[in-house]
Amino acid sequence: MTEDTTQRGRRQWPLPKLADPKAPLLRVEDLAVRFRMPNGSVKAVDGVSFGLDDGEALGIAGESGCGKTTTALSLVHLLPANGYIKRGRVELFGIDLVPKTETQIARYRWREISIVFQGAMNALNPVQRIGDQIAEPIEVRLGQPRESSRRRAGELLELVGIPRQRAGAYPHELSGGMRQRAIIAMSLACDPAIVIGDEPTTALDVMVQAQILQLLEQLRRDLGLSLILITHDLSVIAETCDRAMIMYAGRVAEEGPSRRLFTAPRHPYTQKLLSSFPNIRTDRRTLEVIPGMPPDLRKPPPGCRFAPRCPFAMPVCTEVVPPEVRFSDGVRVACHLYSDAEAPMAGAAGLKAAGETGA
Amino acid sequence: MTNRQDAPAVVADTELVPASVAPVIEPPGIEPGHELLRLEGLQVHFPIRGGFLDQVRRRARGYVRAVDGIDLAINKGEILGLVGESGSGKTTTGRVVVKLTHQTGGRIVFDGQDVTTLWGTGNLRAYRRRVQLIFQDPYETLNPKHTIAEFVGEPLEVNGIGTSRQDREQRILAALETAGLRPAADFAGRFPHELSGGQRQRVVIAGALVMGPDLVVADEPVSMLDVSIRTELLHLMLDLRRERGLTYLFITHDLSLAWVLADRIAVMYLGKIMEIGPAERVIRWPRNPYTQALVSVSPSPDPPAEGERAARTILVGETPDAAHIPPGCRFHPRCPLVFDRCRVDEPPLFDVGGGQQAACWLAEGGEIEPGPA
Amino acid sequence: MTPTTAPPAAVTPARRGSRAGGRARDFAGRFLSRNDGRLGLLILVVFGLLAAFPDVFVGKLETATTATGQSLQPPGGGYLFGTDELGRDVLNMTVHGARISMTIGLMATLITVLLGAVVGIVAGYVGGKTDTVLMRISDFFLVLPTIVLAIILAPVILDIVGADAELFGIRATMIVIVVVIGLTSWATTARVIRSQVLSIKMRMFVDRARVVGSGPGRIMRRHVLPNVINLIVAQAVLTFAVAVFTETTLAFIGLGDPFAPSWGEILNSAQGAGAPGLGAWWYIAPPAICVVLVVLAFTLVGNALDDILNPRSGARR
Repeated sequence: MTEDTTQRGRRQWPLPKLADPKAPLLRVEDLAVRFRMPNGSVKAVDGVSFGLDDGEALGIAGESGCGKTTTALSLVHLLPANGYIKRGRVELFGIDLVPKTETQIARYRWREISIVFQGAMNALNPVQRIGDQIAEPIEVRLGQPRESSRRRAGELLELVGIPRQRAGAYPHELSGGMRQRAIIAMSLACDPAIVIGDEPTTALDVMVQAQILQLLEQLRRDLGLSLILITHDLSVIAETCDRAMIMYAGRVAEEGPSRRLFTAPRHPYTQKLLSSFPNIRTDRRTLEVIPGMPPDLRKPPPGCRFAPRCPFAMPVCTEVVPPEVRFSDGVRVACHLYSDAEAPMAGAAGLKAAGETGA
Repeated sequence: MTNRQDAPAVVADTELVPASVAPVIEPPGIEPGHELLRLEGLQVHFPIRGGFLDQVRRRARGYVRAVDGIDLAINKGEILGLVGESGSGKTTTGRVVVKLTHQTGGRIVFDGQDVTTLWGTGNLRAYRRRVQLIFQDPYETLNPKHTIAEFVGEPLEVNGIGTSRQDREQRILAALETAGLRPAADFAGRFPHELSGGQRQRVVIAGALVMGPDLVVADEPVSMLDVSIRTELLHLMLDLRRERGLTYLFITHDLSLAWVLADRIAVMYLGKIMEIGPAERVIRWPRNPYTQALVSVSPSPDPPAEGERAARTILVGETPDAAHIPPGCRFHPRCPLVFDRCRVDEPPLFDVGGGQQAACWLAEGGEIEPGPA
Repeated sequence: MTPTTAPPAAVTPARRGSRAGGRARDFAGRFLSRNDGRLGLLILVVFGLLAAFPDVFVGKLETATTATGQSLQPPGGGYLFGTDELGRDVLNMTVHGARISMTIGLMATLITVLLGAVVGIVAGYVGGKTDTVLMRISDFFLVLPTIVLAIILAPVILDIVGADAELFGIRATMIVIVVVIGLTSWATTARVIRSQVLSIKMRMFVDRARVVGSGPGRIMRRHVLPNVINLIVAQAVLTFAVAVFTETTLAFIGLGDPFAPSWGEILNSAQGAGAPGLGAWWYIAPPAICVVLVVLAFTLVGNALDDILNPRSGARR
């Protein structure tokens, strides 16, 4: 990608002072997050690595409790009081965000990375007009005067498909789909580099969901936006994301270009997960059951965390944590079935190298 | 609308791992001649209350026409998937069938008997024994102050079923076991907050089954559950159908779920049925543009091929509210294939062959060559 | 295919001992861990004991004939709170007053809560015209000023039944007070309960009860009531506080029963004997402080109960 077409070329605001203009957009390495609970600490995220490039859409999928939301929240230090980052690096434009203090990280929240929370459309301030709600972060975080903030809010509304005149409307006057569009407009207010959406279409009708996903796609093209979509719904990721990352019990099971991942899943969990989703486009009218339950993350099982439920489990699976193996088609898998397979670049070093060439 | 090709053959790498074989579900034992439920011209109009003066004069400002005249029939042993977005009237239809809400017009016939109005508690009781509802939200359906046994036992108590306390207890335990909660005695004395979401929904199912109904209305029974729990419960429901000859009216907004479960699918929009027929025909060869659009945007875990995204029919706007239903065909303002007649006359359901019917002027010609639409 | 593995056991293991016993212990633990719960309970226990067994603490109630002290003696010389104008031990009267004040409070609360709860539940659940009618009636009682009503009603009732009449051993004047407090307080309780019932009515488990054939009576008894009982208890406790205070006020302005020396009555007598002007603070302070303490205690306990017992919706995923 040349500089002209990347988001960095189109940015309205300058890069952060410490940014390295040549560094990749986002690199997360060996992230580990814990929660302090009365009866032990929960190892919610345990060694997660991934990357995101300009204009890319990454989908993070998994069932509840797999750590996908925690991973996203930890990027900008939005964990609850009992959560903390145990180790790892989160490099945005080459700047490591993990050691930042609360005041320092404020520069990045909403301005470089913004998050659309689950159910945000129901959390709009009911007594404030949506135009004002969108203008507020521009005024407060960017220090822009009220007039230009209002104008920008109007532009953002148009961008997401809401007529500018409706800026004076209250949230309850808007339909579900419109409210979600307003939320997206708010997340774009400070022209962030990355937008993270946590279950952005879960509560919506399927037609409205299609509209919102189409909107996100359009924004990605027009603004050069990078997206991280977090959802339990594999279908949403298949439809909209370039790359997909499947998480299980706090670790990455499989990650790679979504086309490859969904048509030829390698990790047994991915395979089972895929066949437990109904698929309207094939003749398959059966659903697969994954027996058992995800592990208690206070005392996760040794070795591979999926081993207790895996139909292909071998003795080594319950003893050794499976190493990540990278295949030539860009897919990373953490599974002992592949740890002897021939792979040109194996392990975390390989990941970093591959990331630079673009997946 | 193009049919999606099956996924291309997997590449050599994955031959290391044999794809797991999904279990096959046996074909259902439908009794085609035995009609269990029939709805004729069912109508549910809710009056919109005006101010105080309107109330005194008992005048309604207008009506929310939630269900606006539908005809539906379900055979014994069948699963009918009633699909629609919010505002389609599908939930209201379900509530009318179990008599939680009263219809304002039309007929309901159950197993040959007109049950539109049931006089006398005895008749209503008999009806409730045979028709029950599985609710959507397992966190809300169980009274937090009642034990599981109280929940499952309430239908027995209220309807005077069971010869003695022990007999009732036996029935409760049997229902819990059928729903997959074992050991049943262990669960009977617990309270809802001690159970997980999936377990609670099993309790809800046990509660619906304890009287031994013939027809079960399931209103989005798995939408609030995790994916893997979802599958377990759907399998449970299918097993029950096989073992006990249950008939289901399965209400959902998820067309792909209906595709996997239902024998026949009915698509509702703004209170009317737009299309109804065997699942394969409705999904593969939809004749109503609304169904076509719905099918084209229903997501699947197969990434779309190049150019396939363009074939999506993403409708503009959202479903209008049921108090202001457009004239003529109610879908016409959003229909990509609209023409003059649609704005004026409302189309009836036309027979398009193979047991399929579509409410669209374009379908007036009847059956066309089956194939990609 | 039914899952080959059995569904997992319930999330939390069954408690040892009876289900009800376990929950009661759990509740007690939570209650006692709170500052307001502990303090309030302590005060109430003290006053409860005093009210239940006054003779044990201070001997029988002194009357004008059995008084042994000098008139208006300040504290000292065996009289902890001094004496009143008739030489009676103020401590003795204060402790006996606890029983009377609290008994009146209890009876008034019972009426209030019973009436308020029944009206609140029926109006809230049945709705429609019944609700409108009941709420209009309660509005009427809501705006009645207690004191004014007492002043008007007391002589009327006494006239009808006769000043010395007794009902179940309770003197007529006391009954008047109880009735007056009940009449003016039930409406608030009814409204509060009704609000809660309105939201309970909408919940899915009520729908489910209807689907299986439960009638309105059963739903109100088995589904609505258990989910408002917490609110009722919290309301009762707060009403008790108000009742004690109201009784004190009524007695103070002379609408009480001179033969039943509640704290208000003592204050009334003190006023009548000119205690404030004579500087006999020991006659006024004890009953006044007792009222304050008891009302405070009830409020603290009521707060704690309200916080703890409020319906939890249960853990969500």
